[in-house]
Amino acid sequence: MSDGPNNTGLWQIAWRQLRHNRFAMVCLAILGLYTAVWIYAEATFWGARIRGVTPAYKVSNYDIRNQPPSAAHPLGTNFAGRDNLSQMIQGTRIAFEIGLLTSVIVIPIGFALGAVAGYFGRKIDTAVVYLYSVIDSVPGILLIMAIAYVVRSVVERSEAFQAITRYVDSGLLAVCVGMGFTGWVGLCRLIRAEYFKHRERQYVLAARALGVSDGAIMFRHIAPNVLHLIIINFSLRFPGLVLTEAVLSYLGVGVRDEPSWGAIINDAKQRLWLGNWWELAGATAAMFFLVLALNIFGDALRDALDPKLRTAEAKTA
Amino acid sequence: MLFVLFPGFGRAESVLYGVGGDFKGFDPVDAGDVESADQVGRVYEGLLEYAYLDRPYHVIPRLAEALPEVSADGLTYTFKIKKGIRFPDDPCFPGGKGREVTAQDFVYSFLRTLNPRLQSQGDWIFVNHVRGAQEWVDRVSSSKDPVNYDAPFPGFVATDRYTLQVNLAKPYPQLLWVLTMQYAFVVPREAVEFYGKDFRNHPVGTGPFRLKAWRRNYRIEYERNPFFSGQTFPANTDPEFQADVGKPLPLVDRIIEYDIREYYTTWQMFLGGQLYSAGINKDYFEKVISPQLELSGDLARRGIRLQKSPLLNTYYLGFNMLDPVVGGMSEPRKKLRQAFASALNVKKYCEVLTNNRSTPATSPIPPGVAGHEPKPYPHAYDLERAKRLLAEAGYPGGKDAKGKQLRLTMIMPGAGSTDARQAADFYAEQLRAIGVELEVQMLTGAEYLRREHEGETQIFWAGWVIDYPDAQNVLQLFYGPNKCPGVNATNYQNPEFDKLYEHVVSMADSPERTALYAKMADIVVEDCPWALMTYPLAYGLFQPWFQNYKQHAFPYANWKYFKVLPH
Repeated sequence: MSDGPNNTGLWQIAWRQLRHNRFAMVCLAILGLYTAVWIYAEATFWGARIRGVTPAYKVSNYDIRNQPPSAAHPLGTNFAGRDNLSQMIQGTRIAFEIGLLTSVIVIPIGFALGAVAGYFGRKIDTAVVYLYSVIDSVPGILLIMAIAYVVRSVVERSEAFQAITRYVDSGLLAVCVGMGFTGWVGLCRLIRAEYFKHRERQYVLAARALGVSDGAIMFRHIAPNVLHLIIINFSLRFPGLVLTEAVLSYLGVGVRDEPSWGAIINDAKQRLWLGNWWELAGATAAMFFLVLALNIFGDALRDALDPKLRTAEAKTA
Repeated sequence: MLFVLFPGFGRAESVLYGVGGDFKGFDPVDAGDVESADQVGRVYEGLLEYAYLDRPYHVIPRLAEALPEVSADGLTYTFKIKKGIRFPDDPCFPGGKGREVTAQDFVYSFLRTLNPRLQSQGDWIFVNHVRGAQEWVDRVSSSKDPVNYDAPFPGFVATDRYTLQVNLAKPYPQLLWVLTMQYAFVVPREAVEFYGKDFRNHPVGTGPFRLKAWRRNYRIEYERNPFFSGQTFPANTDPEFQADVGKPLPLVDRIIEYDIREYYTTWQMFLGGQLYSAGINKDYFEKVISPQLELSGDLARRGIRLQKSPLLNTYYLGFNMLDPVVGGMSEPRKKLRQAFASALNVKKYCEVLTNNRSTPATSPIPPGVAGHEPKPYPHAYDLERAKRLLAEAGYPGGKDAKGKQLRLTMIMPGAGSTDARQAADFYAEQLRAIGVELEVQMLTGAEYLRREHEGETQIFWAGWVIDYPDAQNVLQLFYGPNKCPGVNATNYQNPEFDKLYEHVVSMADSPERTALYAKMADIVVEDCPWALMTYPLAYGLFQPWFQNYKQHAFPYANWKYFKVLPH
């Protein structure tokens, strides 16, 4: 709180720099569009759920299966005669849900472990480093698949978890947990390094001299100074999550009852050899632009928020 | 030219390349699925086998000298075993030399199938029929001692080295059929004891082939078994099968199969001539098969043959009758199951998901088997009826008295398969139309089989591939005492049905028996432990150089007849 004015300064400067980066602004606009599509998709989904009806994108019409693009269906229809465009739109919702849900798991784990490791050092640090080194040494996709299988069978077989699957697809949940429990390593490393640096700073020493508790120093005093790292990390990780989910769903481990992009591509490959490109094209393009926009914007954001990079740029300018 | 002048010199090896190999292993007692049965049928044999080319199906002796002598009361079957049949050389035998097969080997092998500790899916072929079988099973289950296979057993008696007597508790006319099955194949005791748990990876059988190399999930290779005892291609009247009459079997030297999971790969390999046969995936169907259901021009010009044939299979969705929601024999529960069945538009399913390569099932007994009656299925698709029945079952609009939506769970195999996911999507949508939420869980093959076997289900997708052409084989799935972990995976129990079943199992084939079969099928259809889905039609493509193939409903021992021309 005492850092308030300082923080505002950081964000204001960052925003000013971002605004001058035209490329980043285009990407921001694209992300805004995706967010609008996402909100629209959520509204359709929950609207149907609350009214207790089948959402339109899930209604099949077997008379118009596998049709090429037309005015009524700009991206054609799929194996069940559903409109590919609305499938793609719902895929956006799945992608965002995965990004957010996974981040909800990744950020607390990565932040908390990184903070305690960096702040306390010594044995705690050794333990945390050991833990993330072990996790990092196993090939990611395999570990995610293993965790996802376990989570799914636990969720599907226990009464207690059944209630959750009313709101979240069990496959989606499984993939998120899988990616969540493997994906915190990068963030943890970053935070740990920052805490190492900050714990020797004067404001921390001063706080300690005044008798402020370790918890308060870690989370009230140091945390606001590393918060921007989480945001950068989140925006850079998001595209990776979307891609991983697509790979997993393509392999049949991921989302099942909902049209995720991976699942759409999996369906589309069945008829690709017949020349039905449109189903594949829709989902792939949607994924491509989201990932591209996020990557570029994430980079720009990092440049803007990282004081070191900023001074370097100022010097060259 | 050399080949013409010296036909024996430099003769090219003939190799059959195919797709397969995703199976459990070579232990005959454990070969309860089609793929395992297929692999086991290459290396092991039994007393009897099907006459390959003859229809209607009938059995002929294989390791037996002749068909058995049956006593007047129909309770004692006496088999003479051929002399000189040898197990192949293998390290499990003293000195590595194989030995002659005797009657005692059959006693041992049959008892293994009965042994409850091995949890064979094939114990039903003997357990309620053979004298002393149930007592033996109970004794083994309750004791902790090792199983004594040498103690006298009243059901299977080796009266001398080459004579085997099977004594039944009551007449069992299906005995000849079941003795063709892999569960009754002969295995050497030395191999079982030598290899222990690894026996399933080390087949030591009398069959036409022996295992040469096996890399799980990749490739399996068989070669001609030099110890295979003489058998020749049977004389017949079909002009298509004259070329090899009288030639010694097997006709190919090696079989090599690749375990291919992705259909596209199979298809490309088949087109490249690397595989003798390929099925047709639904998404390839339109390109390959004309609207008149014939082979498309390109493939036909290459001489590729299309073989269409009905299979004696029934696909269905089974309800666990012990489940508190869908199970039970009370009127509302029955109506709930009937509502479920009526909500499924099976005709649409056939069209959308199988390109009409299957037809809606109307009875648990498939057509072509006595007892199947050509009458409509009473729970065929009828949305209004489904909604009405659901309301009568206590779930108007899919909601119970408290207004909570009915939610059901179904399991099916095919984790990771696009086709399975699309089928699951179809089922869920059909049920949604009557207000029921169906969650379909797609499991790996092994996990699915385990849960079905142990009755850990609410609703399960399943198909029954008939084991022999007698409706009793299907009806046993509804016999109360066969409930889980037996073959009655739905745990269905109806005293009226059970009484009829106990009566018909000992009847010989007759119009009366057929009428009773039909009546029993009607009882099952009314109680609805199965929501009937489809009868499949097989569409197989075969290379022109693949010869001597005749579609067979029980094809597991047919590999020795196939021929590959030089190509």
